[in-house]
Amino acid sequence: MVQGVTEAGLPVADVRGPLPYLWWLIRRQKGRIATGALIGSLWMVGLTLPPYLLAQAIDQGLQRRDPAALAAWAAALFAVGAVNALLAILRHRTMTKIRLDGGFRTVRAVIAHATRLGAALPRRIGAGEIVTIGIADVWVLAQALTVTGPGLGAVIAYVVVAVLLLKISPLLAVVVLAGVPVLAVVVGPMLGRLQRAGARYRERQGALADRLVDIIGGLRVLNGLGGKDGYARRYRRDSQAVAEVGYRVGAVTSWIQALGVGLPAIFLAVVIWLAARMAAQGDITVGELVAVWGYAAVLVVPVAFFIEGGFDVSRALVAGRRVVDFLRLPVDPPPRGQGPDGPAVLRDPDSGVVVIPGRLVALATARPADAAAVVDRLGRYGPTAVTWGGRRLDGLAVRDRILVADNEAYLFTGALGEVVAGRSEPDDEAVARALAAAAACDIVDGLPDGTASVIDTQGRNLSGGQRQRVRLARALYADPEILLAVEPTSAVDANTEAAIAERLPAARAGRATLVATTSPAMLDRADIVHYIVGGRLAATGTHRALLDTEPGYRALVTRAAGEAALPEAARR
Amino acid sequence: MTELPVAGRAHVRRAAVRLIRDDGGAVALMVLFNALAAIAGLAGPWLLGRIIDTVTAGPAPVGVVDRLALAVLLCTVVQIVLARTALAVGYRFGERTAARVRERFLDRALALPASVVERVPAGDLAARGTCDVGTVAATLRDAIPEVLIAAVQALFVLVAVFLLDPLLGAVALLGLAAIPPVTRWYLRRARTAYLEEGAAGSVLADELASTIAGTRTVEALGLRERRTAVADEAIDRARHTRLRTLALRSVLFPAVDVSYVVPVVGVLLVGGALYIDGLLSLGAVAACALYLRQLVVPLDAILVWLEQLQSSGASFARVEGLAAIPPAVVTERSAPADDRIEIRGVRYAYEGDRDVLRGVDLTVRPGERLALVGPSGAGKSTLGRLLTGVDRPRAGSLTVGGVEISRLPPGLLRRQVVLVTQEHHVFRDAVRDNLTLAAPDATDDDLISALAVVGADWAMDLPDGLDTRLGGDGVVLDGAQAQQLALARVVLADPHTVVLDEATALLDPTTARDAERALAAVLHDRTVIAIAHRLQTAHDADRVAVMDGGRLVELGTHDDLVAAGGTYAHLWRTWHG
Repeated sequence: MVQGVTEAGLPVADVRGPLPYLWWLIRRQKGRIATGALIGSLWMVGLTLPPYLLAQAIDQGLQRRDPAALAAWAAALFAVGAVNALLAILRHRTMTKIRLDGGFRTVRAVIAHATRLGAALPRRIGAGEIVTIGIADVWVLAQALTVTGPGLGAVIAYVVVAVLLLKISPLLAVVVLAGVPVLAVVVGPMLGRLQRAGARYRERQGALADRLVDIIGGLRVLNGLGGKDGYARRYRRDSQAVAEVGYRVGAVTSWIQALGVGLPAIFLAVVIWLAARMAAQGDITVGELVAVWGYAAVLVVPVAFFIEGGFDVSRALVAGRRVVDFLRLPVDPPPRGQGPDGPAVLRDPDSGVVVIPGRLVALATARPADAAAVVDRLGRYGPTAVTWGGRRLDGLAVRDRILVADNEAYLFTGALGEVVAGRSEPDDEAVARALAAAAACDIVDGLPDGTASVIDTQGRNLSGGQRQRVRLARALYADPEILLAVEPTSAVDANTEAAIAERLPAARAGRATLVATTSPAMLDRADIVHYIVGGRLAATGTHRALLDTEPGYRALVTRAAGEAALPEAARR
Repeated sequence: MTELPVAGRAHVRRAAVRLIRDDGGAVALMVLFNALAAIAGLAGPWLLGRIIDTVTAGPAPVGVVDRLALAVLLCTVVQIVLARTALAVGYRFGERTAARVRERFLDRALALPASVVERVPAGDLAARGTCDVGTVAATLRDAIPEVLIAAVQALFVLVAVFLLDPLLGAVALLGLAAIPPVTRWYLRRARTAYLEEGAAGSVLADELASTIAGTRTVEALGLRERRTAVADEAIDRARHTRLRTLALRSVLFPAVDVSYVVPVVGVLLVGGALYIDGLLSLGAVAACALYLRQLVVPLDAILVWLEQLQSSGASFARVEGLAAIPPAVVTERSAPADDRIEIRGVRYAYEGDRDVLRGVDLTVRPGERLALVGPSGAGKSTLGRLLTGVDRPRAGSLTVGGVEISRLPPGLLRRQVVLVTQEHHVFRDAVRDNLTLAAPDATDDDLISALAVVGADWAMDLPDGLDTRLGGDGVVLDGAQAQQLALARVVLADPHTVVLDEATALLDPTTARDAERALAAVLHDRTVIAIAHRLQTAHDADRVAVMDGGRLVELGTHDDLVAAGGTYAHLWRTWHG
């Protein structure tokens, strides 16, 4: 992918690395980030004011026993508190929206890239890994964007405290200003340890979750055949092992967390010590002593933000690496060549199979893998020497004109009508036609809202045979110039298969169709039958002619028809 | 599809209390260390108050201030160590309890009645087992210890103010009065809002997962724009629900933040009046004000975790929802007298729907091969599930050896009847584990011969033999191989009756023929009920039962039925061409 270049007018993510990617996410919402930084800074600065006001209330009001001054400073303290509360929520709102934008933007980029990779995707990366990226990693990345708001604010708050401290005592100011960065440097490396320990834990935890999903997926098997005890035992063992790792992580984490809060507190105590001595010697007032305590305590907030931000960013770099690595997976450049202007013959030299315009061609073979290989070549999935109207197919754009419909084709959730219509807006009449041709009208009748009923992902609320017919209806609705269908009736009953065989030729009239099948009903309707043995064309002819002339074909097809009885051993 | 239940509030509360009580010692220890840490933390402002009093009392000896300041430092160190110990104990508690939650979830999932497993969306169960259990675990590990710490700290701060001056303590409490009602307002709405946020997140995850799993289809059908639009829609919904929870927080956070300032201001004014009247020292007023400012940290921590507690409360409700499903009723203790299966007047309907089976009578003879044929929706698969005890008839009875099938305990049931469908799961485990689940005592030779029987020759060539891991990083089986594995399990389970529901449909013709032949050899003295889409299965069977519209319409041998010229004969002729 080319960095920063636009594809179809859309800005393309900067995927040179996790940091450039984060920077890209920031640039996408400059305005919001600027607002967040401004509000965050105001809020942080606002946090430094109460100690000052409290000190004034003590010095001007209490010590001088002046009720009016006390009331005035107390009112100011309340007003600043209220404004800060407002700033705090505005900051939270802005930062939440920044995280949402960053997270969803990345989800969108991941989905877009997955669809760009298309059929090549499964070869490049495991589906589970991308889902992890899309569900978990994007939010780890987004969390790091939080650092943009208080990050700048923290610096400003730091400077404001410095100025206020300087007015009280240069010595105290130097100690505080130098001490805080030292703290950050000390706490920083501890986070690295935390992360490494955490990574191992998450890995074990992920494996345990996988095991649980595996067991849940196999519940039917365990219900039907037993073996639950063994799986429960092993899950418990793994679960306890995860807990063991968790104990070790907890031992480290608890130190890091206690020190994360504790080291600033120790620093605070040292500052107070210094200030108390100065107060005892009369160098600073009591109010100032209280203020120093307050300032140093307030300074913990920006420092904590630095620490937390560092933690978020370091996690985001790991998650971002995975996101970026995925987004960098190269997309095969789409072939630019155009196919023949009109309908033309598709010819596979490796097998000798030809697909002819206007004809229904059947492909019969004992080995489905052979049929799948032929169809993959004809459909230009993977390397191919196929020609289309004499031109090499591998340089041509074919997806709009040649459609491979197999039983692994994915069914996305949606209303039945939309599922069938695929990329087009559903046309009721055409949907009904496609469903009728696929002998799928009974599915519509059985659903509560007809074609408006929602089909679950992968048609999980349908039976195997129903799913197969919905897939066929979808392929017929698409009405491609060339349809290559693999075993479209393997999961339907004999009645339905006969109906499909009857209607398919009419539905595909005038178009080129190839059906890989061993069903006699289907083969009988084909204009031409290619009989494949060992991946090569062994004979071509009509079903009836091949039945007479090819004993192998006859054995294959009649087996499917049940005419040749199974060997005696198989029957009782 | 039915949804899995979600546990009610009362149940969730009881379950949460039980979790804490189960590890009461650790919780008590955690509270103790926290209390000690909080006391050490409170010493700081108190000592500072002493310093202020010392300084205001006139020219103070530096030595006294030094000693007080050193005490502040020491208290801080002690607090760190105690806080760390409390956290460590808390993490161990969380880890242990999280393990208990997930193990109990698995036990419950395993105990789900087969009829429920058939009907609930697998994704829901898996999501609860991973996402929800994970959220609960994270809360137990992180949120619970930290909330406990914060609660103890907050409590001690208030106690300290009360000890310094009860009147100021009362003022402080009064100042915080707005927090409980606002929090209640928030919590009442947050539960639903976070549940919706979670649901929208699941929908988005599902869309993402499908788009990724279906990329080949996306490319083939040119669905890129459509999928992008669908994802955008899911994103919009997810964003909407997240903005809704943000709106709730937008009320809670400012209200609470302002509430933090009120006690400080109140204590300054009231304490100031007392000081001016000479009833209180300046140090005491300052210490109170500082204490109350310290209250922000623990209360904020609680507030931050409140959100996670909310969402994990919702998750916990989903996890505990499994407990609401009644276990399978197993009332039958007596073993079946023989292998005869009798079906009498069986009716069955899916929830609230019309009957799928409308009075089926059939006697399956021990040892026969019976084919069930008929159009889709005739009720063949439903009858298959009733025969294997997955579901229970609405009316009528299905018995084996005189005993109601659905009331047999699982261990006994699977020695009688086993259902084999197209859907079969390969566990991400060794080949051996995938097989021994059906026969725990089987030897390696038994396993190898079972694989040989179903024609799974590939199993002999695996790199590590029976120890070869399947799925995931291991060897991934194709549909046909997975089916053979499933059949080998049945061979090992060795029931007297097998119901095959399209068991060999995914196999290619040659392999299917081998598998069927092998199965026939293995099952030659068993009863086989084959739900058949392919008519050759019927042709080869001893008897054919033709179903239509939930009824048994014809029963007899292939030849008899063809000769009779009824439904079956018509079907045979149409299909055979």
